[in-house]
Amino acid sequence: MKLSLLCKVAVAALMFSASAAKADVVFGALYPFSGQLALLGEESARGLEIAVDEINAAGGVQGQKVVLMRGDAVDNNQAIGEARRLISLGKVSAIFGSYSSARSIAASQVAELSGIPYFELGAVADEVTGRGLKFLYRTNPTAEDMAKLIVEMIVNKVAAKLGKKPEELKIGIIYEDSSYGTSVANHEKKYAADAKLNVVSMQGYPAATVDMSSLVLDLKQRGVDVVLQTSYSNDSVLFLQQANEAGFKPGAIIGGGGGYSMQPTADAVGHAVMEGVLDVDFTQFLVNTKFTPKLEEFVAAYKKKYNENPRSGHSLNNYAGAKAILEALNKAKGFSPDVITKAVNAIDVPQGVTSVGYGIKFGKNNQNERASMMGMQWQGGKLVTVYPDAAAIAPMKVGGK
Amino acid sequence: MDTFLQVVANGLLLGALFAIVSVGLTLIFGIVKVVNFAHGEFLMVGMYLTYLLTNRLGIHPFATVIAVVPLLFLLGALTQRFLIQPLMSARDDHIQIFATVGLSTALINLALLIFGADIANTSASGLRMPLQLGPVRVLTGQLAILAASVLLVVGLQRFLNQTQTGRAIRAVAQNRAAAQLMGINVNRIYILTFGIGAACVGVAAALIAPLYPTSPNIGTYFVLTAFVVVVLGGLGSIGGAFLGSLVIGLIDSLSGFYLSSDLREVAVFGVFLVILILKPSGLFSGGRLNLSHVSP
Repeated sequence: MKLSLLCKVAVAALMFSASAAKADVVFGALYPFSGQLALLGEESARGLEIAVDEINAAGGVQGQKVVLMRGDAVDNNQAIGEARRLISLGKVSAIFGSYSSARSIAASQVAELSGIPYFELGAVADEVTGRGLKFLYRTNPTAEDMAKLIVEMIVNKVAAKLGKKPEELKIGIIYEDSSYGTSVANHEKKYAADAKLNVVSMQGYPAATVDMSSLVLDLKQRGVDVVLQTSYSNDSVLFLQQANEAGFKPGAIIGGGGGYSMQPTADAVGHAVMEGVLDVDFTQFLVNTKFTPKLEEFVAAYKKKYNENPRSGHSLNNYAGAKAILEALNKAKGFSPDVITKAVNAIDVPQGVTSVGYGIKFGKNNQNERASMMGMQWQGGKLVTVYPDAAAIAPMKVGGK
Repeated sequence: MDTFLQVVANGLLLGALFAIVSVGLTLIFGIVKVVNFAHGEFLMVGMYLTYLLTNRLGIHPFATVIAVVPLLFLLGALTQRFLIQPLMSARDDHIQIFATVGLSTALINLALLIFGADIANTSASGLRMPLQLGPVRVLTGQLAILAASVLLVVGLQRFLNQTQTGRAIRAVAQNRAAAQLMGINVNRIYILTFGIGAACVGVAAALIAPLYPTSPNIGTYFVLTAFVVVVLGGLGSIGGAFLGSLVIGLIDSLSGFYLSSDLREVAVFGVFLVILILKPSGLFSGGRLNLSHVSP
């Protein structure tokens, strides 16, 4: 008697879970939600959540409601553990993430071994797609794209505004010496050499430095016209302040994302000192929306859901990447890894139609070959887009022109 | 030549910055014999207090010492009374080190919880003004740090040498058991000393906050160098820590300019290792670990 009751319960439970599985498709959302990187990890995840909300409101993917299962990648070890949990216990069909390059590299390895597709929407390091993984795809632009655009900006715009030929400019490259700063700086050096720019100084420093006066003095002595810095918040603030106080005023300063894109950095440095500083990073919000259609709708959806303005372009880039992938999956039949990879390999979104501006088509190593960054400038205490022209909302102001 | 003078001036000012952070650490180390790994986080707490008082209440950063120093004294005294003291009788001294490491991690995460990972910028109130002194350009705030670090070192020396409490503190440092037999309440002296050490870093916090962006991890930026300074200065010697700071500041600045900024840490720690091998008791210490060299 008891046994048959147990059987009935078991069968009922099985049927319930089967019907639940039929109604929902589960994807992992693996980001640093707590710890040091929580702020931008959470901000990135919000973009994915908005993409999922929109797709669910439009009837889901292949008629199934998308459910996100969160994994908290506090550090690299936990990223691995959480990837395992999402795959084995959560039975996710794919994982989206991850903001931090190091976490992404660790977790995607687990997904690769399990044959589960991993969609990277926000990490920039070369190694993410550089390892030739079969199931890892990246939608966002990379450290290399950043360096490429910085050099392009110098050649196409900055040099002329400073009244010099590109090869006459003295370029100084400074960077925090972890993998982020080093990889961007090395790409800058390579692209600068290709463009025949004259790099007169290239110096790394530990991000946890408390003094950059020697470095500033060195750049000043060499008469550097354009400084390229790849940095986090503290070292961006330190460099800009100490350069200003030492009376070092180069023709242009171009930051590579990180601290340079953050409002608190500008507030800390002081808007007078920050005025005119250039920055290359993911698409941000003060941009010509003709080039980034539906960006305003994204901001409205964000405000409605989270009751505040987006804190950085991280959410936007995660949103755009996730949206393109979910839409592609909607056209497929089933969620087996092979079906998913086939569907995303067929994605072909041109430039200028997504909310971030860049198009999506996966090329070598499953990197989005149409991904690109944008050039911004601090004007009047705000980070406005100034490059490329199609995306700009204000002219670039360098050397008083 | 002008450039050389500027590099030297930068080095000395950087040294003064290390000195003002290290003085409290060396005091605690010399007397309570505890390596306080939470020292950098005490600095961070002080900087956030300065930030709040300056930006929210409009108080000049220097005036915040009136509140920051007593609060840091309290934090230090409580740490000694409730964290270190119960562990003083533990069989292994290292357990106290682990306790301060734990405290440091807890304070960083508490700051992350309250203030987030973003930087907080204390209003500078004219402390970032460059001054041209002959060929050398310095900031008013940096000069203030130099002056304050000298005052703090001299003041502490005089306190330890010329007051009754100071003598009691030195007695405890020299021989704990004998001091106890002479009727000194050793535990109270430890609490007082830890409090004073933390109060010193409170002075540092109020002066540093206007010049450096505050973040939960800011303490770790300063504290590694502070440990080097303390060891180099001769483990517990206050005057030694001051001179050691200037040496480190100069090496840092000179190597950063004349070699490469990548090599600054290599130079600092290379010189540090060489000095330790040649003079294991520290650069400015005459003998073994004690405080006798505090007296002039």
